[in-house]
Amino acid sequence: MSKDLEYVFVTELQNNQNIVHKVCSLYTNDRDAHNDLFQEITIQLWKAYPKFRGDSKLSTWMYRVALNTAITLYRKSKRKLDTQNYDSIIYKIKADEYDETQELQLKLMYKAVKQLGDIDKALVFLYLEDKNYTEISETLGISEVNARVKMNRIKNKLKTILNP
Amino acid sequence: MDELEILKKDWQKKGDELPKLSYNDIYKMIWKKSSSIVKWIFIISILEFILPNLLLLIPSVRTNHTEIYYGNNLFIWLTIFQYLIIFYFMYQFYKRYKEISVLDNAKTLMKNILRTRKTVKHYVIYSLSMIFLTILLMAVSVYFNPDMLSVLYKEKIPDGLTEEKLRTIFAISFIIAGIIMTIFVGLVYFLLYGLLIKKLTRNYRELKRMEV
Repeated sequence: MSKDLEYVFVTELQNNQNIVHKVCSLYTNDRDAHNDLFQEITIQLWKAYPKFRGDSKLSTWMYRVALNTAITLYRKSKRKLDTQNYDSIIYKIKADEYDETQELQLKLMYKAVKQLGDIDKALVFLYLEDKNYTEISETLGISEVNARVKMNRIKNKLKTILNP
Repeated sequence: MDELEILKKDWQKKGDELPKLSYNDIYKMIWKKSSSIVKWIFIISILEFILPNLLLLIPSVRTNHTEIYYGNNLFIWLTIFQYLIIFYFMYQFYKRYKEISVLDNAKTLMKNILRTRKTVKHYVIYSLSMIFLTILLMAVSVYFNPDMLSVLYKEKIPDGLTEEKLRTIFAISFIIAGIIMTIFVGLVYFLLYGLLIKKLTRNYRELKRMEV
């Protein structure tokens, strides 16, 4: 029975691992930290798994558990964002798909997003994952109106970073 | 076009560049030990519950304690009262610790962790004031009660010192030692407390600020 549980859980996580990797790439700056956070999120998901089995898809809960782990539970102190550290996963943009200015703009934008605070990052992450404001507000525990207001502020913040 | 929309389009395409972990990679991970802040809070809190009580196990503290108070009914009742309070704190701590769930929304999760930690903080403040009060009580009784001195100091009073002077010296050193110890233990505790929940407090404040 518990062998089945293990199998189902690991398979589901394997199929949805991109969600966790994306969170890790936002909240960490190098490969070691990325793997470490991935592991902690996996442990937290596994520990909580018996509680949400059946109610809904694992992926729905993954957003919440992954962000909670990154923002709250993860203990390793993050190193300051190092401008040298450009080989992190989300900067690997395929050059031929974009013209140079757009590629540069994207790089700048990712850099700007990584400079945001933990909470702002969580909002941006959920937004980029195409979550609506209801889901964003439920995941973070703030009201929908406030989630919208905050998101607009972040957009303006990013705008000023990109067009000084 | 909105800057964030450009980013969103790129973000959705990211799949291929992300690492791909195999079934076995993930399977191995689920048996690893968590290093989450909740686990550390649990370990450190339990230590903090035990440590003030360990002080009583130091031989000199214990002999003084028992010699001074042994057979005193009031002291027995005080001890029972003390343990009741400790158990109350531990029960509160356990109850709140159990409420922490990673499946809650971020704000509730943070609130529950901070509440758990606050129970321990209140306990530490209580213990520290009890230790300080005990020491203060000893200082006062040494100063006013001649019998106390004979319990603490069995040797002959050195030349050039009167009993009165010796009592004053004892009382003052008790008070100084009490203040230093309380400040030291307090500093260590609040440093640990601050470091452990620094990130958590900052993020929680930010979430709360949004609701104003």
